[in-house]
Amino acid sequence: MKTQSTALYILRLALTLLIITGVMAALLAAVNLVTAPIIAGLQAEKTQQAIQAVLPGGGEEIAFTDKTGTVSTVYGSDTGYAVEVAPIGFDGAITMMVGIDKDGNVLGISIISHTETAGLGAVAAAKTSAGENFRGQFVGLNGSVAVSKDGGTVEAITGATITSRAVCEGINAALACVADLG
Amino acid sequence: MNEYVQTLIGILLAAILSENFILVKFYGICPFMGVSKKIDTALGMGMAVTFVMGIASAATWAIYRLLVLLHLEFMQTVAFILVIASIVQVVEMFLKKAVSALYKALGIFLPLITTNCAVLGVALLNVQKGYDFLLSVVNGVCGGLGFTVAIVLFASLRERVEKSDCPECFKGMPITLVAAGLLALAFMGFSGLKLF
Amino acid sequence: MNFKKQFSEGLLSKNPVLVQLLGLCSVLAITTSLFNGIGMGLSVTVILICSNVLISALRKVIPSQIRIAAYIVIIASFVTIVDLVLQAFIPDLSESLGVFIPLIVVNCIVLGRAEAFASKNGVLASAVDGLCQGIGYTVALVIMCVIRELLGSGTFGGGILNNGEGIRIIPEGYPAMQMVMPVGGFLTLGFVIAGFQWYTRHSRNKKQKEAAK
Repeated sequence: MKTQSTALYILRLALTLLIITGVMAALLAAVNLVTAPIIAGLQAEKTQQAIQAVLPGGGEEIAFTDKTGTVSTVYGSDTGYAVEVAPIGFDGAITMMVGIDKDGNVLGISIISHTETAGLGAVAAAKTSAGENFRGQFVGLNGSVAVSKDGGTVEAITGATITSRAVCEGINAALACVADLG
Repeated sequence: MNEYVQTLIGILLAAILSENFILVKFYGICPFMGVSKKIDTALGMGMAVTFVMGIASAATWAIYRLLVLLHLEFMQTVAFILVIASIVQVVEMFLKKAVSALYKALGIFLPLITTNCAVLGVALLNVQKGYDFLLSVVNGVCGGLGFTVAIVLFASLRERVEKSDCPECFKGMPITLVAAGLLALAFMGFSGLKLF
Repeated sequence: MNFKKQFSEGLLSKNPVLVQLLGLCSVLAITTSLFNGIGMGLSVTVILICSNVLISALRKVIPSQIRIAAYIVIIASFVTIVDLVLQAFIPDLSESLGVFIPLIVVNCIVLGRAEAFASKNGVLASAVDGLCQGIGYTVALVIMCVIRELLGSGTFGGGILNNGEGIRIIPEGYPAMQMVMPVGGFLTLGFVIAGFQWYTRHSRNKKQKEAAK
């Protein structure tokens, strides 16, 4: 008799928990149903904005070959290319768009997402004057770019050499990829 | 394969030193402040956290694959925390029955680990960074080791800080936080540490 | 039920951060700009109110053996809802708070209030408790943010005012960058709590002196 009531009690515990979990999961699913398309839309819009920022007029997705493993997508138009690259920075991947014209000159870069340290590596993507100066340096460069510590012309962000190097690495991958396209 | 080994060693170094879970990423501050009064309890807590973080990384990796399969990624936080809570329970029960010596050493810390953000944090980070199974487990275990290093170092500092003379209003928590700040400053020296 | 008492407890005598020392992870990690502080504070307040209300409403239904598991499910669900809503409608905030939004699940404030207050009190009182504790948490975050942002980046209101750049108070190049880094988090919190302890002791002494007269 006693064992049966214990079993019943355990069943009651499990059922209560199951109902709570079920109701909360249903609630979550409902919220997700509303927010998922908005989040996906935002993401697509962000990529589009990044393309527009580095390649005025935008472009269509085209096929590409990549030896470095950092290029994820290439958008091409009559005037040039926008190359999405994801080099590894100080703390994970830095997803960014690199605009390159038909002659292989950098038109500009736009950082889509990153997880660099606030106040240091994050400056690379910041909307501040320091961030804009850093990104502006790359405009017009070609061939291959490097920070001044590695013998290049790029002034690294103070205290964030690794982030700056990663950005250079991404740009080099994009340049190499476009060079292969011909 | 060579590159994979490099990534592996990179994660190992970052998790223990340059990206230390407590002093750089601020995961698990509560136990860091709560259980760091004595070196041996700090060591016990560190070992327990390392143990659970390793297992939790493996389990949440599998759970996330399942969620992706079912297109239920939005449930990840709920699923992870439940899995972690259950793991802690199971580990506690298992240790109690099987390895009673270890249970005596770690037992009292186990219930506290469920609400340690380092465990949930490492699970979420593994997903965010897209680590595979091995990398996830290594990140979990090394994150735990980093936690242990920080908490043991801090406990040995704190034994002295407690006895020191300081302004009345700094007594207790404030002076402890300042000491933790100085330790974090020391760990900043590791930032940028990269072997390759 | 005494709203005024609950409010002063949440803000001062039982401030979740400055007195109870709960939820320090987020307090230390994200307090680098005013935008982050207010955003995080409001998110936690909303979650606290929702979870307190639901847990209080269900307090007679949930058997005590499984209450912690049930609380965790409820809290985690509300956290995910807030996370999704932020991602969809305030993507900037969601990006700058990152993983610390899902980590609210293990923020001891939320589970602590569920266990200590909502499981024993009525729905309305629990809602008020969530609101007051949330405000106390937000105020502590904002104090931290203002100090760290001013000393570390030299600005006020970063992320909100002046197109998100914040109003510059200390010229560029002079701020001590360490203040927005982990070190600054620990130091600032240490000094803020020390200041708070000094204030409470000071006002207590004053009261005692007046009583002695």
